[in-house]
Amino acid sequence: MKTIKTKKGEIALPCLEVQIVPIDKVQANNYNPNMVSSQNMKLLEESIVSNGFCFAVVTIWDPDLEKYVIIDGFHRYLIFRDYLQAKELPIIVLEHDITKRMEATVQFNRARGVHQVELMGDLVKALVEQGVSDDEIAVKLGMEIEEVFRLKQITGIAELFKNQIYSKSWVIQEVDEVG
Amino acid sequence: MNSMLRQVYVNKTVLEAAKERISYIFDEFENIVVSISGGKDSTVLAHLALTEAHKRNRKIGIFFLDEEVVYESTIKQIEYIMNLYPENTIPLWLQVEFKLTNATSLIEGQLICWEAGKSKIWMRPKSPLSIKHKPWDITKETIRDKNKGFGFYDALENFQNSRRDTAFLIGLRATESPNRWRAVSKNPGYKNVYWCTKMKNGNVSFYPLYDWNFHDVWKYIYDNKLRYSKIYDYMWKKGMGLQEIRVSSLIHEKSFKALVELPEFEPKTYDKLLKRIKGISVGNLYGKDRAMLRVQKLPKNYKNWREYRDFLLATYPDPEKKEIFVKRFAKHLDNDYVARQQCRQLVLNDYENNLPVDNKPDPREALIQKWRELL
Repeated sequence: MKTIKTKKGEIALPCLEVQIVPIDKVQANNYNPNMVSSQNMKLLEESIVSNGFCFAVVTIWDPDLEKYVIIDGFHRYLIFRDYLQAKELPIIVLEHDITKRMEATVQFNRARGVHQVELMGDLVKALVEQGVSDDEIAVKLGMEIEEVFRLKQITGIAELFKNQIYSKSWVIQEVDEVG
Repeated sequence: MNSMLRQVYVNKTVLEAAKERISYIFDEFENIVVSISGGKDSTVLAHLALTEAHKRNRKIGIFFLDEEVVYESTIKQIEYIMNLYPENTIPLWLQVEFKLTNATSLIEGQLICWEAGKSKIWMRPKSPLSIKHKPWDITKETIRDKNKGFGFYDALENFQNSRRDTAFLIGLRATESPNRWRAVSKNPGYKNVYWCTKMKNGNVSFYPLYDWNFHDVWKYIYDNKLRYSKIYDYMWKKGMGLQEIRVSSLIHEKSFKALVELPEFEPKTYDKLLKRIKGISVGNLYGKDRAMLRVQKLPKNYKNWREYRDFLLATYPDPEKKEIFVKRFAKHLDNDYVARQQCRQLVLNDYENNLPVDNKPDPREALIQKWRELL
Protein backbone atom coordinates (compact mmCIF):
# COMPACT_ATOMS: atom_id res chain seq x y z
CA MET A 1 0.00 0.00 0.00
CA LYS A 2 1.19 3.54 -0.72
CA THR A 3 2.19 5.70 2.24
CA ILE A 4 3.06 9.29 3.09
CA LYS A 5 5.89 10.18 5.48
CA THR A 6 4.93 12.12 8.63
CA LYS A 7 6.57 12.88 11.96
CA LYS A 8 4.73 9.87 13.37
CA GLY A 9 6.08 7.58 10.67
CA GLU A 10 4.64 6.30 7.42
CA ILE A 11 0.87 6.77 7.25
CA ALA A 12 -0.97 4.19 5.18
CA LEU A 13 -3.30 5.44 2.42
CA PRO A 14 -6.20 3.02 2.12
CA CYS A 15 -8.14 5.85 0.43
CA LEU A 16 -6.20 5.00 -2.73
CA GLU A 17 -7.35 1.39 -2.72
CA VAL A 18 -11.02 1.79 -3.43
CA GLN A 19 -12.90 -1.09 -5.03
CA ILE A 20 -16.40 -1.27 -6.38
CA VAL A 21 -18.43 -4.23 -5.14
CA PRO A 22 -22.05 -5.36 -5.47
CA ILE A 23 -24.02 -3.52 -2.81
CA ASP A 24 -25.63 -6.72 -1.53
CA LYS A 25 -22.17 -7.96 -0.50
CA VAL A 26 -22.06 -5.13 2.08
CA GLN A 27 -23.82 -5.07 5.45
CA ALA A 28 -24.10 -2.97 8.61
CA ASN A 29 -22.30 -3.73 11.84
CA ASN A 30 -24.36 -4.37 14.96
CA TYR A 31 -22.76 -1.89 17.31
CA ASN A 32 -22.77 1.54 15.64
CA PRO A 33 -24.23 4.11 18.08
CA ASN A 34 -24.38 6.86 15.45
CA MET A 35 -27.81 8.25 14.57
CA VAL A 36 -28.55 10.58 11.68
CA SER A 37 -31.82 12.54 11.67
CA SER A 38 -34.12 12.22 8.66
CA GLN A 39 -33.40 15.87 7.86
CA ASN A 40 -29.68 15.16 7.70
CA MET A 41 -30.29 12.01 5.62
CA LYS A 42 -31.92 14.24 3.01
CA LEU A 43 -28.92 16.56 3.23
CA LEU A 44 -26.59 13.60 2.73
CA GLU A 45 -28.56 12.52 -0.34
CA GLU A 46 -28.38 16.07 -1.67
CA SER A 47 -24.64 16.07 -1.08
CA ILE A 48 -24.07 12.76 -2.86
CA VAL A 49 -26.22 13.79 -5.81
CA SER A 50 -24.53 17.16 -6.26
CA ASN A 51 -20.94 16.36 -5.22
CA GLY A 52 -20.74 12.71 -6.19
CA PHE A 53 -19.75 9.84 -3.85
CA CYS A 54 -16.52 11.34 -2.49
CA PHE A 55 -15.75 9.06 0.45
CA ALA A 56 -15.68 5.32 0.04
CA VAL A 57 -17.42 3.25 2.70
CA VAL A 58 -14.90 1.74 5.12
CA THR A 59 -15.34 -2.01 5.77
CA ILE A 60 -13.68 -5.24 6.85
CA TRP A 61 -14.15 -8.60 5.15
CA ASP A 62 -15.98 -11.09 7.36
CA PRO A 63 -15.09 -14.60 6.10
CA ASP A 64 -17.91 -16.29 8.10
CA LEU A 65 -20.65 -14.04 6.74
CA GLU A 66 -18.90 -13.75 3.39
CA LYS A 67 -19.75 -10.07 3.46
CA TYR A 68 -18.07 -6.70 3.85
CA VAL A 69 -19.08 -5.30 7.25
CA ILE A 70 -19.19 -1.52 7.56
CA ILE A 71 -16.88 0.34 9.95
CA ASP A 72 -17.73 3.81 8.71
CA GLY A 73 -20.19 5.12 6.16
CA PHE A 74 -23.37 3.27 7.09
CA HIS A 75 -25.55 6.24 6.21
CA ARG A 76 -23.83 6.84 2.86
CA TYR A 77 -24.45 3.16 2.14
CA LEU A 78 -28.14 3.53 3.08
CA ILE A 79 -28.54 6.51 0.75
CA PHE A 80 -27.03 4.54 -2.11
CA ARG A 81 -28.96 1.36 -1.38
CA ASP A 82 -32.43 2.69 -0.43
CA TYR A 83 -32.73 6.30 -1.59
CA LEU A 84 -30.84 6.00 -4.88
CA GLN A 85 -31.24 2.24 -5.38
CA ALA A 86 -27.70 1.69 -6.61
CA LYS A 87 -26.50 -1.85 -7.31
CA GLU A 88 -22.84 -1.20 -6.50
CA LEU A 89 -20.85 0.63 -3.83
CA PRO A 90 -17.27 1.96 -3.61
CA ILE A 91 -15.53 0.53 -0.54
CA ILE A 92 -12.19 0.32 1.22
CA VAL A 93 -11.32 -2.91 3.06
CA LEU A 94 -9.29 -2.68 6.28
CA GLU A 95 -7.86 -5.61 8.24
CA HIS A 96 -9.07 -4.78 11.76
CA ASP A 97 -10.02 -7.20 14.53
CA ILE A 98 -13.30 -6.58 16.36
CA THR A 99 -11.80 -4.28 19.05
CA LYS A 100 -10.01 -2.09 16.56
CA ARG A 101 -13.13 -2.06 14.40
CA MET A 102 -15.32 -0.73 17.20
CA GLU A 103 -12.72 1.87 18.10
CA ALA A 104 -12.44 2.96 14.49
CA THR A 105 -16.21 3.38 14.16
CA VAL A 106 -16.31 5.76 17.12
CA GLN A 107 -13.19 7.61 15.95
CA PHE A 108 -14.76 8.21 12.55
CA ASN A 109 -18.06 9.33 14.10
CA ARG A 110 -16.75 11.62 16.79
CA ALA A 111 -13.62 13.20 15.39
CA ARG A 112 -15.62 15.85 13.60
CA GLY A 113 -16.06 19.56 14.02
CA VAL A 114 -19.12 21.64 14.75
CA HIS A 115 -20.17 24.81 12.99
CA GLN A 116 -19.64 28.00 14.94
CA VAL A 117 -22.97 29.75 15.01
CA GLU A 118 -21.53 33.16 14.22
CA LEU A 119 -19.56 31.99 11.18
CA MET A 120 -22.48 29.87 9.98
CA GLY A 121 -24.51 33.10 10.04
CA ASP A 122 -21.85 34.85 7.96
CA LEU A 123 -21.87 31.97 5.48
CA VAL A 124 -25.65 32.11 5.06
CA LYS A 125 -25.45 35.88 4.64
CA ALA A 126 -22.82 35.46 1.91
CA LEU A 127 -25.04 32.98 0.07
CA VAL A 128 -27.96 35.41 0.26
CA GLU A 129 -25.72 38.11 -1.20
CA GLN A 130 -24.79 35.75 -4.04
CA GLY A 131 -28.47 35.67 -4.90
CA VAL A 132 -29.38 32.24 -3.48
CA SER A 133 -32.99 32.14 -2.26
CA ASP A 134 -33.96 31.19 1.30
CA ASP A 135 -35.73 28.06 0.07
CA GLU A 136 -32.71 26.96 -1.88
CA ILE A 137 -30.43 27.55 1.11
CA ALA A 138 -32.77 25.50 3.25
CA VAL A 139 -32.60 22.53 0.85
CA LYS A 140 -28.90 22.74 0.07
CA LEU A 141 -27.74 23.18 3.66
CA GLY A 142 -30.35 20.89 5.21
CA MET A 143 -32.02 23.55 7.32
CA GLU A 144 -35.56 24.46 8.14
CA ILE A 145 -36.65 27.80 6.69
CA GLU A 146 -36.89 29.06 10.29
CA GLU A 147 -33.18 28.37 10.82
CA VAL A 148 -32.26 30.20 7.61
CA PHE A 149 -34.30 33.19 8.74
CA ARG A 150 -32.66 33.28 12.15
CA LEU A 151 -29.14 32.85 10.80
CA LYS A 152 -29.43 35.57 8.21
CA GLN A 153 -30.93 37.96 10.73
CA ILE A 154 -27.73 39.78 11.59
CA THR A 155 -29.02 42.68 13.60
CA GLY A 156 -29.42 40.67 16.78
CA ILE A 157 -32.42 40.06 18.97
CA ALA A 158 -32.75 43.55 20.46
CA GLU A 159 -33.94 44.68 17.01
CA LEU A 160 -37.00 42.43 17.35
CA PHE A 161 -38.31 44.52 20.22
CA LYS A 162 -37.98 47.99 18.75
CA ASN A 163 -41.67 48.48 18.09
CA GLN A 164 -42.79 47.31 21.51
CA ILE A 165 -44.20 49.73 24.05
CA TYR A 166 -43.28 49.72 27.73
CA SER A 167 -45.62 47.85 30.06
CA LYS A 168 -47.72 49.57 32.66
CA SER A 169 -46.15 49.84 36.07
CA TRP A 170 -47.70 48.29 39.20
CA VAL A 171 -47.17 48.49 42.94
CA ILE A 172 -47.84 46.29 45.93
CA GLN A 173 -50.51 47.96 48.01
CA GLU A 174 -52.18 47.12 51.26
CA VAL A 175 -55.90 47.04 50.58
CA ASP A 176 -58.82 46.30 52.87
CA GLU A 177 -60.49 43.03 52.19
CA VAL A 178 -64.22 43.36 52.00
CA GLY A 179 -66.21 40.69 53.75
CA MET B 1 -61.99 43.66 57.99
CA ASN B 2 -58.57 42.23 57.14
CA SER B 3 -56.01 43.99 55.11
CA MET B 4 -54.10 42.18 52.39
CA LEU B 5 -51.49 42.85 49.74
CA ARG B 6 -52.54 43.40 46.16
CA GLN B 7 -50.87 44.18 42.88
CA VAL B 8 -52.31 47.51 41.67
CA TYR B 9 -51.58 49.05 38.26
CA VAL B 10 -50.59 52.72 38.18
CA ASN B 11 -50.65 55.19 35.35
CA LYS B 12 -46.94 55.09 34.48
CA THR B 13 -44.73 53.00 32.29
CA VAL B 14 -42.27 50.64 33.95
CA LEU B 15 -39.45 52.86 32.66
CA GLU B 16 -40.83 56.02 34.30
CA ALA B 17 -41.40 54.11 37.51
CA ALA B 18 -37.90 52.57 37.53
CA LYS B 19 -36.30 56.00 37.05
CA GLU B 20 -38.31 57.35 39.99
CA ARG B 21 -37.32 54.40 42.15
CA ILE B 22 -33.65 54.84 41.35
CA SER B 23 -33.88 58.58 42.00
CA TYR B 24 -35.48 57.78 45.38
CA ILE B 25 -32.59 55.44 46.29
CA PHE B 26 -30.07 58.16 45.36
CA ASP B 27 -31.94 60.58 47.64
CA GLU B 28 -31.96 58.14 50.55
CA PHE B 29 -28.55 56.45 50.32
CA GLU B 30 -25.05 57.77 50.01
CA ASN B 31 -23.58 54.35 49.20
CA ILE B 32 -25.03 52.53 46.21
CA VAL B 33 -23.83 49.27 44.68
CA VAL B 34 -25.35 47.65 41.56
CA SER B 35 -24.90 43.87 41.27
CA ILE B 36 -24.30 42.72 37.71
CA SER B 37 -24.11 39.27 36.13
CA GLY B 38 -23.45 40.18 32.51
CA GLY B 39 -27.07 39.31 31.72
CA LYS B 40 -29.63 41.59 30.10
CA ASP B 41 -31.55 42.59 33.25
CA SER B 42 -28.54 43.74 35.23
CA THR B 43 -27.18 45.52 32.14
CA VAL B 44 -30.35 47.63 32.00
CA LEU B 45 -30.29 48.24 35.74
CA ALA B 46 -26.63 49.31 35.72
CA HIS B 47 -27.27 51.66 32.80
CA LEU B 48 -30.23 53.31 34.56
CA ALA B 49 -28.29 53.72 37.81
CA LEU B 50 -25.12 55.00 36.10
CA THR B 51 -27.15 57.52 34.10
CA GLU B 52 -28.58 58.85 37.36
CA ALA B 53 -25.12 58.89 38.99
CA HIS B 54 -23.79 60.81 36.00
CA LYS B 55 -26.62 63.34 36.25
CA ARG B 56 -25.92 63.87 39.95
CA ASN B 57 -22.15 63.75 39.56
CA ARG B 58 -21.89 60.87 42.02
CA LYS B 59 -20.02 57.56 42.16
CA ILE B 60 -21.61 54.17 42.56
CA GLY B 61 -20.15 50.67 42.96
CA ILE B 62 -20.59 48.15 40.16
CA PHE B 63 -20.30 44.70 41.73
CA PHE B 64 -19.49 41.52 39.82
CA LEU B 65 -18.65 38.28 41.62
CA ASP B 66 -16.54 36.51 39.00
CA GLU B 67 -16.95 32.70 38.87
CA GLU B 68 -14.08 32.34 36.39
CA VAL B 69 -15.79 29.53 34.38
CA VAL B 70 -18.17 31.78 32.42
CA TYR B 71 -18.65 32.73 28.77
CA GLU B 72 -16.07 35.08 27.31
CA SER B 73 -19.07 37.13 26.14
CA THR B 74 -20.08 37.61 29.78
CA ILE B 75 -16.66 39.07 30.60
CA LYS B 76 -16.79 41.38 27.58
CA GLN B 77 -20.17 42.58 28.85
CA ILE B 78 -18.77 43.23 32.34
CA GLU B 79 -15.92 45.27 30.87
CA TYR B 80 -18.43 47.22 28.81
CA ILE B 81 -20.55 48.11 31.83
CA MET B 82 -17.51 49.00 33.95
CA ASN B 83 -16.49 51.46 31.21
CA LEU B 84 -19.89 53.09 30.49
CA TYR B 85 -19.28 56.01 32.86
CA PRO B 86 -15.81 55.42 34.35
CA GLU B 87 -15.87 58.73 36.22
CA ASN B 88 -19.04 57.64 38.04
CA THR B 89 -18.01 54.01 38.60
CA ILE B 90 -16.26 52.31 41.48
CA PRO B 91 -15.38 48.90 40.00
CA LEU B 92 -16.10 46.13 42.49
CA TRP B 93 -15.09 43.21 40.30
CA LEU B 94 -14.25 40.40 42.71
CA GLN B 95 -11.81 37.74 41.51
CA VAL B 96 -11.18 35.77 44.69
CA GLU B 97 -11.11 32.07 45.59
CA PHE B 98 -14.36 30.27 46.31
CA LYS B 99 -15.80 26.85 45.55
CA LEU B 100 -18.12 25.97 42.69
CA THR B 101 -19.95 22.69 42.15
CA ASN B 102 -18.87 20.88 39.00
CA ALA B 103 -21.98 18.93 38.05
CA THR B 104 -20.25 17.18 35.17
CA SER B 105 -17.53 15.28 37.00
CA LEU B 106 -17.56 12.80 39.85
CA ILE B 107 -13.78 12.87 40.18
CA GLU B 108 -13.43 16.63 40.32
CA GLY B 109 -16.73 17.55 41.96
CA GLN B 110 -15.66 21.01 42.99
CA LEU B 111 -13.77 23.72 41.29
CA ILE B 112 -12.00 26.41 43.26
CA CYS B 113 -12.22 29.39 40.98
CA TRP B 114 -9.13 31.60 40.83
CA GLU B 115 -7.27 28.97 42.85
CA ALA B 116 -3.83 30.18 43.91
CA GLY B 117 -0.97 28.39 42.17
CA LYS B 118 -3.13 27.47 39.18
CA SER B 119 -2.96 30.75 37.32
CA LYS B 120 -1.55 28.92 34.30
CA ILE B 121 -4.82 27.09 33.73
CA TRP B 122 -7.24 29.84 34.77
CA MET B 123 -9.78 30.53 32.05
CA ARG B 124 -8.21 33.97 31.61
CA PRO B 125 -5.83 36.27 33.49
CA LYS B 126 -7.33 38.44 36.21
CA SER B 127 -8.57 41.84 35.09
CA PRO B 128 -6.48 44.94 35.85
CA LEU B 129 -9.72 46.44 37.21
CA SER B 130 -10.47 43.68 39.68
CA ILE B 131 -10.16 43.20 43.43
CA LYS B 132 -7.84 40.22 43.81
CA HIS B 133 -7.96 39.56 47.55
CA LYS B 134 -10.98 39.13 49.78
CA PRO B 135 -11.92 42.66 50.82
CA TRP B 136 -13.20 41.54 54.23
CA ASP B 137 -11.68 40.48 57.54
CA ILE B 138 -10.72 36.82 56.97
CA THR B 139 -10.75 36.05 60.70
CA LYS B 140 -14.44 36.98 60.83
CA GLU B 141 -15.37 35.27 57.58
CA THR B 142 -18.66 33.34 57.77
CA ILE B 143 -19.49 30.05 56.05
CA ARG B 144 -23.04 28.72 55.80
CA ASP B 145 -22.07 25.07 55.68
CA LYS B 146 -18.61 23.86 56.68
CA ASN B 147 -19.05 20.55 54.79
CA LYS B 148 -19.49 22.31 51.50
CA GLY B 149 -16.84 24.92 52.11
CA PHE B 150 -16.72 28.57 51.14
CA GLY B 151 -19.00 29.00 48.13
CA PHE B 152 -20.60 31.61 45.89
CA TYR B 153 -23.25 32.71 48.39
CA ASP B 154 -20.66 32.91 51.17
CA ALA B 155 -18.54 35.24 49.04
CA LEU B 156 -21.66 37.31 48.30
CA GLU B 157 -22.71 37.49 51.95
CA ASN B 158 -19.28 38.36 53.28
CA PHE B 159 -18.94 41.07 50.69
CA GLN B 160 -22.32 42.57 51.57
CA ASN B 161 -21.65 42.34 55.31
CA SER B 162 -18.34 44.14 54.87
CA ARG B 163 -20.35 47.25 53.96
CA ARG B 164 -22.78 49.35 55.94
CA ASP B 165 -25.72 51.63 55.10
CA THR B 166 -25.47 50.59 51.49
CA ALA B 167 -28.23 50.19 48.91
CA PHE B 168 -27.62 47.08 46.78
CA LEU B 169 -29.46 47.25 43.47
CA ILE B 170 -30.45 43.90 41.96
CA GLY B 171 -32.13 43.17 38.60
CA LEU B 172 -34.76 40.79 40.00
CA ARG B 173 -38.02 40.74 38.04
CA ALA B 174 -41.30 39.34 39.37
CA THR B 175 -42.30 37.68 36.09
CA GLU B 176 -38.94 35.92 35.82
CA SER B 177 -38.68 34.65 39.41
CA PRO B 178 -42.21 34.71 40.87
CA ASN B 179 -41.27 32.65 43.93
CA ARG B 180 -38.33 34.79 44.91
CA TRP B 181 -40.37 37.91 44.27
CA ARG B 182 -43.21 36.69 46.50
CA ALA B 183 -40.72 35.96 49.26
CA VAL B 184 -39.07 39.39 49.16
CA SER B 185 -42.19 41.53 48.69
CA LYS B 186 -44.16 40.30 51.71
CA ASN B 187 -43.02 43.12 53.96
CA PRO B 188 -41.53 46.55 53.45
CA GLY B 189 -37.74 46.19 53.76
CA TYR B 190 -37.02 49.88 54.08
CA LYS B 191 -39.48 52.56 55.31
CA ASN B 192 -42.71 51.83 53.39
CA VAL B 193 -40.98 50.33 50.35
CA TYR B 194 -42.07 46.79 49.38
CA TRP B 195 -39.64 46.23 46.50
CA CYS B 196 -36.64 45.60 48.72
CA THR B 197 -35.21 43.37 51.48
CA LYS B 198 -33.59 44.45 54.72
CA MET B 199 -30.12 43.05 55.43
CA LYS B 200 -27.42 43.38 58.11
CA ASN B 201 -25.56 46.62 58.99
CA GLY B 202 -28.27 48.91 57.65
CA ASN B 203 -27.83 47.47 54.16
CA VAL B 204 -30.88 47.06 51.91
CA SER B 205 -31.34 45.14 48.62
CA PHE B 206 -33.57 47.01 46.16
CA TYR B 207 -35.27 45.62 43.04
CA PRO B 208 -36.12 48.66 40.86
CA LEU B 209 -37.01 46.54 37.81
CA TYR B 210 -39.45 44.25 39.65
CA ASP B 211 -42.44 45.05 37.41
CA TRP B 212 -40.54 44.88 34.09
CA ASN B 213 -41.44 42.28 31.53
CA PHE B 214 -39.09 40.48 29.19
CA HIS B 215 -39.88 42.78 26.24
CA ASP B 216 -39.37 45.94 28.32
CA VAL B 217 -35.80 44.92 29.01
CA TRP B 218 -35.07 44.30 25.32
CA LYS B 219 -36.82 47.48 24.24
CA TYR B 220 -34.67 49.49 26.65
CA ILE B 221 -31.54 47.82 25.27
CA TYR B 222 -32.65 48.59 21.71
CA ASP B 223 -33.71 52.19 22.42
CA ASN B 224 -30.47 53.04 24.19
CA LYS B 225 -28.30 51.03 21.77
CA LEU B 226 -26.76 49.14 24.67
CA ARG B 227 -24.37 46.29 24.07
CA TYR B 228 -25.58 42.90 25.32
CA SER B 229 -24.00 39.48 25.67
CA LYS B 230 -23.59 37.73 22.32
CA ILE B 231 -24.85 34.53 23.92
CA TYR B 232 -28.41 35.84 23.52
CA ASP B 233 -27.96 36.18 19.75
CA TYR B 234 -26.30 32.76 19.47
CA MET B 235 -29.10 31.10 21.37
CA TRP B 236 -31.72 32.88 19.36
CA LYS B 237 -30.08 31.84 16.12
CA LYS B 238 -30.06 28.27 17.35
CA GLY B 239 -33.81 28.55 17.98
CA MET B 240 -33.53 28.19 21.74
CA GLY B 241 -35.81 29.67 24.35
CA LEU B 242 -34.48 33.05 25.41
CA GLN B 243 -35.96 32.67 28.85
CA GLU B 244 -33.68 29.78 29.84
CA ILE B 245 -30.39 31.53 29.23
CA ARG B 246 -28.03 31.82 32.18
CA VAL B 247 -24.88 33.82 31.64
CA SER B 248 -23.08 32.70 34.81
CA SER B 249 -21.09 29.55 35.75
CA LEU B 250 -20.99 26.97 32.98
CA ILE B 251 -20.59 23.94 35.24
CA HIS B 252 -23.41 24.46 37.71
CA GLU B 253 -26.01 21.69 38.11
CA LYS B 254 -28.61 24.01 36.61
CA SER B 255 -26.56 25.24 33.67
CA PHE B 256 -24.40 22.35 32.44
CA LYS B 257 -26.76 21.96 29.47
CA ALA B 258 -25.00 25.04 28.10
CA LEU B 259 -21.98 22.83 27.48
CA VAL B 260 -23.78 21.11 24.60
CA GLU B 261 -23.73 24.30 22.55
CA LEU B 262 -20.57 25.86 23.92
CA PRO B 263 -18.24 24.60 21.12
CA GLU B 264 -20.55 26.22 18.56
CA PHE B 265 -20.78 29.51 20.47
CA GLU B 266 -17.34 30.00 21.95
CA PRO B 267 -14.89 27.32 20.79
CA LYS B 268 -11.99 28.94 22.64
CA THR B 269 -13.87 29.07 25.93
CA TYR B 270 -14.75 25.40 25.48
CA ASP B 271 -11.12 24.45 24.81
CA LYS B 272 -9.93 26.31 27.90
CA LEU B 273 -12.63 24.70 29.98
CA LEU B 274 -11.52 21.24 28.85
CA LYS B 275 -8.07 21.96 30.22
CA ARG B 276 -9.36 23.63 33.36
CA ILE B 277 -11.52 20.87 34.81
CA LYS B 278 -12.57 17.26 34.29
CA GLY B 279 -15.98 16.17 33.04
CA ILE B 280 -16.49 18.93 30.51
CA SER B 281 -16.69 16.61 27.52
CA VAL B 282 -19.24 14.47 29.40
CA GLY B 283 -21.40 17.58 29.79
CA ASN B 284 -20.92 18.41 26.14
CA LEU B 285 -21.81 14.97 24.80
CA TYR B 286 -24.58 13.99 27.18
CA GLY B 287 -25.89 17.29 28.59
CA LYS B 288 -29.22 16.74 26.87
CA ASP B 289 -29.31 12.95 26.94
CA ARG B 290 -32.32 11.75 28.89
CA ALA B 291 -30.59 8.82 30.54
CA MET B 292 -27.13 10.16 31.32
CA LEU B 293 -27.15 13.53 33.06
CA ARG B 294 -30.80 14.51 33.08
CA VAL B 295 -31.76 11.23 34.73
CA GLN B 296 -35.22 11.03 33.18
CA LYS B 297 -34.89 7.60 31.62
CA LEU B 298 -33.73 4.56 33.55
CA PRO B 299 -30.61 3.04 31.95
CA LYS B 300 -31.65 -0.26 30.42
CA ASN B 301 -29.47 -2.49 32.59
CA TYR B 302 -31.39 -1.70 35.77
CA LYS B 303 -34.75 -3.06 36.92
CA ASN B 304 -35.77 0.07 38.76
CA TRP B 305 -34.48 3.39 40.10
CA ARG B 306 -33.69 1.91 43.51
CA GLU B 307 -31.31 -0.59 41.94
CA TYR B 308 -29.65 2.16 39.88
CA ARG B 309 -29.31 4.34 42.98
CA ASP B 310 -27.66 1.54 44.96
CA PHE B 311 -25.22 1.00 42.12
CA LEU B 312 -24.37 4.71 41.87
CA LEU B 313 -23.90 4.97 45.60
CA ALA B 314 -21.75 1.83 45.79
CA THR B 315 -19.45 3.12 43.06
CA TYR B 316 -19.33 6.78 44.14
CA PRO B 317 -15.65 7.73 43.96
CA ASP B 318 -15.34 10.26 46.78
CA PRO B 319 -15.77 8.62 50.24
CA GLU B 320 -16.41 11.90 52.13
CA LYS B 321 -19.12 13.04 49.73
CA LYS B 322 -20.54 9.53 49.67
CA GLU B 323 -21.08 9.76 53.43
CA ILE B 324 -23.13 12.96 52.92
CA PHE B 325 -25.39 11.10 50.47
CA VAL B 326 -25.71 8.01 52.68
CA LYS B 327 -26.78 10.13 55.66
CA ARG B 328 -29.19 12.21 53.59
CA PHE B 329 -30.82 9.22 51.87
CA ALA B 330 -31.26 7.41 55.20
CA LYS B 331 -33.91 10.01 56.06
CA HIS B 332 -35.80 9.41 52.80
CA LEU B 333 -38.58 7.01 51.89
CA ASP B 334 -37.45 4.00 49.88
CA ASN B 335 -39.52 4.11 46.69
CA ASP B 336 -38.85 4.59 42.99
CA TYR B 337 -40.16 8.16 42.89
CA VAL B 338 -37.67 9.22 45.56
CA ALA B 339 -34.91 6.98 44.19
CA ARG B 340 -34.99 8.65 40.76
CA GLN B 341 -34.35 12.01 42.40
CA GLN B 342 -31.58 10.50 44.50
CA CYS B 343 -30.02 9.18 41.28
CA ARG B 344 -30.10 12.68 39.87
CA GLN B 345 -28.28 14.04 42.92
CA LEU B 346 -25.64 11.33 42.59
CA VAL B 347 -25.16 11.73 38.87
CA LEU B 348 -24.91 15.52 39.12
CA ASN B 349 -22.73 15.36 42.15
CA ASP B 350 -25.21 17.39 44.15
CA TYR B 351 -23.81 16.85 47.64
CA GLU B 352 -24.84 20.45 48.36
CA ASN B 353 -28.52 19.49 48.01
CA ASN B 354 -29.31 22.23 45.51
CA LEU B 355 -31.80 19.94 43.78
CA PRO B 356 -33.67 18.77 46.88
CA VAL B 357 -35.49 15.44 46.88
CA ASP B 358 -39.27 15.58 47.05
CA ASN B 359 -39.63 12.93 49.72
CA LYS B 360 -43.10 11.46 49.37
CA PRO B 361 -44.81 8.17 48.58
CA ASP B 362 -44.60 7.17 44.95
CA PRO B 363 -47.68 8.68 43.22
CA ARG B 364 -47.64 5.78 40.77
CA GLU B 365 -47.95 3.25 43.56
CA ALA B 366 -51.02 5.04 44.91
CA LEU B 367 -52.56 4.87 41.45
CA ILE B 368 -51.79 1.18 41.08
CA GLN B 369 -53.26 0.55 44.53
CA LYS B 370 -56.42 2.37 43.54
CA TRP B 371 -56.83 0.27 40.42
CA ARG B 372 -56.20 -2.91 42.40
CA GLU B 373 -59.03 -1.98 44.68
CA LEU B 374 -61.34 -1.23 41.76
CA LEU B 375 -60.57 -4.41 39.83
